[in-house]
Amino acid sequence: MHRTGIRRFHLARDVEEALSLLSAYGGGGALLAGGVDLLRGPPGQVEGMIDITGIGLSQVGEARGGLAVGATTTLTEILKNPAASAYVGGILCEVLRQVAVPPLRNMATLGGALVSAHPWGDIPTSLVALGAEVRWRGEREGKAPAEELYRGEFRGLFRSAVATEILFPPWNGAFAYEKIGRARYDIALLNSCCGVGIRDGVVAWARVAVGARPDRGERLPWAEQALVGQKPRESLWGEIQDLVQGQVEVGDDRRAGAVWRRHTAGVLVRRALIRAAEKAGR
Amino acid sequence: MKVTFNLNGGPQYLDVEPGEPLLWLLRQLGMKSVKEGCATGDCGACTVLVDGRAVRSCLMLAPQIQGKKVLTLEGLGTVDDPHPLQKAFLDSGAVQCGFCTPGMVLVAYELLLGNDNPTRDEVAEAISGNLCRCTGYVKIVDAVLLAAQWKREGRWR
Repeated sequence: MHRTGIRRFHLARDVEEALSLLSAYGGGGALLAGGVDLLRGPPGQVEGMIDITGIGLSQVGEARGGLAVGATTTLTEILKNPAASAYVGGILCEVLRQVAVPPLRNMATLGGALVSAHPWGDIPTSLVALGAEVRWRGEREGKAPAEELYRGEFRGLFRSAVATEILFPPWNGAFAYEKIGRARYDIALLNSCCGVGIRDGVVAWARVAVGARPDRGERLPWAEQALVGQKPRESLWGEIQDLVQGQVEVGDDRRAGAVWRRHTAGVLVRRALIRAAEKAGR
Repeated sequence: MKVTFNLNGGPQYLDVEPGEPLLWLLRQLGMKSVKEGCATGDCGACTVLVDGRAVRSCLMLAPQIQGKKVLTLEGLGTVDDPHPLQKAFLDSGAVQCGFCTPGMVLVAYELLLGNDNPTRDEVAEAISGNLCRCTGYVKIVDAVLLAAQWKREGRWR
């Protein structure tokens, strides 16, 4: 284990103090919530560590028919929360149960996963699929869909801002999450979060996201459009699988090859859609 | 910087370095059950309980435990007076080299505090973040289930 190079540690009392400290350190300060990524990095990158676990951002509750999760809420706290368990048939908990292992879930926070945004992460793919909105405090208060943040320079934003809350909208339908890793608790080689709403026997809305391609999870709008207005049936799921396998953008990395990812992306989307449609039809 | 916390039931008031990993601090305090394995949070050998939750002490900084309760294996039982969970590990043959055992016992302890009748799958899930290169896990799962049975029978202290 190497020396961390951290010279100062601050326990921030509120968001304002955290922002003030972050600003004072310039690029040498870092916000600490779960901390599962911070100490894995090379030493000497962080001069001042600013602990934000005591600034009142650890809570989960219903909001506007959906769910609001404070940024420093740990994954375990979310998993044990009744409102989170009930949200859209339990999709958030279905995802979080597949993130890492219990001791790391005891430490990791939803805001940390949002900001770290590992391309193989289960959470970014799900945030995008579920249409989550992120709120933050920097020089000004801001909010944006996670999907929009990930398309921009979000890492630069969170060097001078504190993510405060993640809002999950209500959905009249159901979602399902599929993931493939080398082992049950390993990071994803590929993942997919899909949702559908069914009205009058046809798909009224659809959300299809694929992550760890190896890039971070993104929605596939063309797959969603192909689903809307269609009657849920076995052949439809097969057609979407073929569509995804034909059009999804994938790549190689040291974990998996593009050929495997292209094929498997279609399979995961089909599996997720079948389960989501079953749940939505109940 | 000054840090006040509770270690295995006793108060501590110490000067720590701001960047000092909790793992180092605990070992300096004589908690040699807390092992450095991977130092990246993957192996679970450095697991301790902070406020009743299993965490990786290699990924925590010492100042983070300000005001918290820390439990290491030393706080659970001793060689002369092992906790029933430790005795279950011995009776089940769940210990070979012993390097992973403190972490295994502590994640099992966290599980059994909230669930004294876990399934094999729930035990496997609880220990999934702790690597053992010797036993193959079967006897560890057996040990946790035996300890759970003893807890249901009122044999825990």
